[in-house]
Amino acid sequence: MSARNRELLGLIPVAGLLIAGFAAVFSVRSAQLDNTSLIFGAYFFAICLAAHIFLRFRLPNADPYLFPLVALLAAIGLVMLYRINSDLARDQANWFVVGLILFMLTITFLKDYHVLERYRYLIVVAGLVLLLLPRMPVIGSQVNGAYLGIKLGPLAFQPAEFGKLAIVVFLASYLREHREVLVVGAKRFAGITFPPLKHLGPMLVVWGAAMVMLVFIRDLGSSLMFFGAFLALIYTATNRISFVIIGLAMFLVGAWFFATTVGHVGDRIDTWLDPYADANGTGYQVLQSMFAQADGGLFGKGIGESLLWAPGAKETVENTLIPQVQTDFIYALIVNELGLFGGCGVITIYALIAARGFKIASLARDGFSKLLAAGLTAVFALQAFVIIGGVIRVIPLTGVTLPLISYGGSSVLANMVLVALLLLISDRARRPEPGEPL
Amino acid sequence: MDADPAAVALKFAFLGVLYLFLLVIARSALKDLRGSRAVAGGEEGTGMHAVAGGRVAATDATLVAVQGGGLTPGERIDLFGGVTIGRSDEADVRITDRFASGIHCRVHTRGNVYYVEDMDSTNGTYLNGGELRGEAPLSDMDEIQIGDTILRFELVLDDEGIG
Repeated sequence: MSARNRELLGLIPVAGLLIAGFAAVFSVRSAQLDNTSLIFGAYFFAICLAAHIFLRFRLPNADPYLFPLVALLAAIGLVMLYRINSDLARDQANWFVVGLILFMLTITFLKDYHVLERYRYLIVVAGLVLLLLPRMPVIGSQVNGAYLGIKLGPLAFQPAEFGKLAIVVFLASYLREHREVLVVGAKRFAGITFPPLKHLGPMLVVWGAAMVMLVFIRDLGSSLMFFGAFLALIYTATNRISFVIIGLAMFLVGAWFFATTVGHVGDRIDTWLDPYADANGTGYQVLQSMFAQADGGLFGKGIGESLLWAPGAKETVENTLIPQVQTDFIYALIVNELGLFGGCGVITIYALIAARGFKIASLARDGFSKLLAAGLTAVFALQAFVIIGGVIRVIPLTGVTLPLISYGGSSVLANMVLVALLLLISDRARRPEPGEPL
Repeated sequence: MDADPAAVALKFAFLGVLYLFLLVIARSALKDLRGSRAVAGGEEGTGMHAVAGGRVAATDATLVAVQGGGLTPGERIDLFGGVTIGRSDEADVRITDRFASGIHCRVHTRGNVYYVEDMDSTNGTYLNGGELRGEAPLSDMDEIQIGDTILRFELVLDDEGIG
């Protein structure tokens, strides 16, 4: 069976899940079943089909499972948002359509993504500007002490979502050229390979950038995400686990230093260690999310059955029992409604996407493609880890979105571009050589 | 609270379909892993060193002098399909190394793959630190050692795009 036919087959259960999810929400909330859910499912299937047909023509050899997995995340996101508020689901569906258009534009105009290498310094400057925009006066906006979004009139935007793409493109291109100098001349000391001091420069620069982010954006999770992607790239480029260990040690030292000196970073860590210290204040979000997840049990309360609002409270998005349930804490809602099994399922989807991404990297035939695929996959997987880890209290909580599930336009758009790039790399890597039997 | 049986059924159906779907994809991922292990070099952790190992057309690879042999480190030797390496004047790539034989080894191509072959040299040819017996396929960044001389095999990939 050809790759594209497998992709098509994969989309069918996704549409089925969406229909089942909408039907479940609808039956609980209106006590009757009507054809809304079917129409929604058909609509969703139609736009996915459009993207699939586009891929069939444009990237016939691309990875067959990546797109269905992405559509699955989007479907789960839509069901959960529909369960919170039907307006949210409608907005998100529109963003998903815009995202797919951007996805097709990326594939059309960046067919030869190697041109990105030529503009790498421009791209990295743009990326850093995007990351620092939320700290600018007037347009920057602070949410829970972290600076992650900007507001231009009615339009809210999370520039870090696009910033991460720019940074990964730059690092992939930079390391493609300089990876050898990191290995040649490395010294071994106490069983650990240290890169030569003069070439440690770039590593120190990126480490410095992560620390600056920590101080300026005040967000441990995002800087962990960026620095983690960088370490993944270093490892891919040099095959030296020692660089990763050195990098992680540097990050921990830096994070510890700023956690003890910068108030907001420290507060997040205190809340993480002991949310009960201020259960009605700083610990409220995390505790509500933990209770919701515990309440879900093994199989959950059922789609649409969770208690999202206190009895008698107005059923608005701002008023939910778990604060920010549509963005940061959507994972808690999934676990509440689908239980431990549902939550593990979602984590498995991310793990499989990561597996596909690294598979694409291992198949890619040139250094830049390999590094780019590995970096994009790492940043995507780390983002999922950072937010799910925050919600289940494995690491301090961060305000990044759960990729492709959380409500939010910039997140959907940036991640669709990320997936488009992965598919482009995959198509080139899997294309049969001329003269090679198919 | 009494749950609506239809809702319970939907919930389990949702989870069931979700897991079945994931299982199918995970199975194919496992199949990929098993398949690629046979192809990949084994000790290569990230595969970065084996970029495109043996899948690239025969003209675009070079040997890069790393150390010794009277060659300037960093010097690139185009392979043009194959060269012989040794101490004698007849060798395409002449190296001054007291452990090298007249024609010590050769690099040649078959199919779309480059091979390094030891030409019954006195002191042997080493590939990535291990002694070479007969011939072995080369992948990107492999290091060929002759006596004190080290040459690195590098695939040249056109950044403007392959294919």
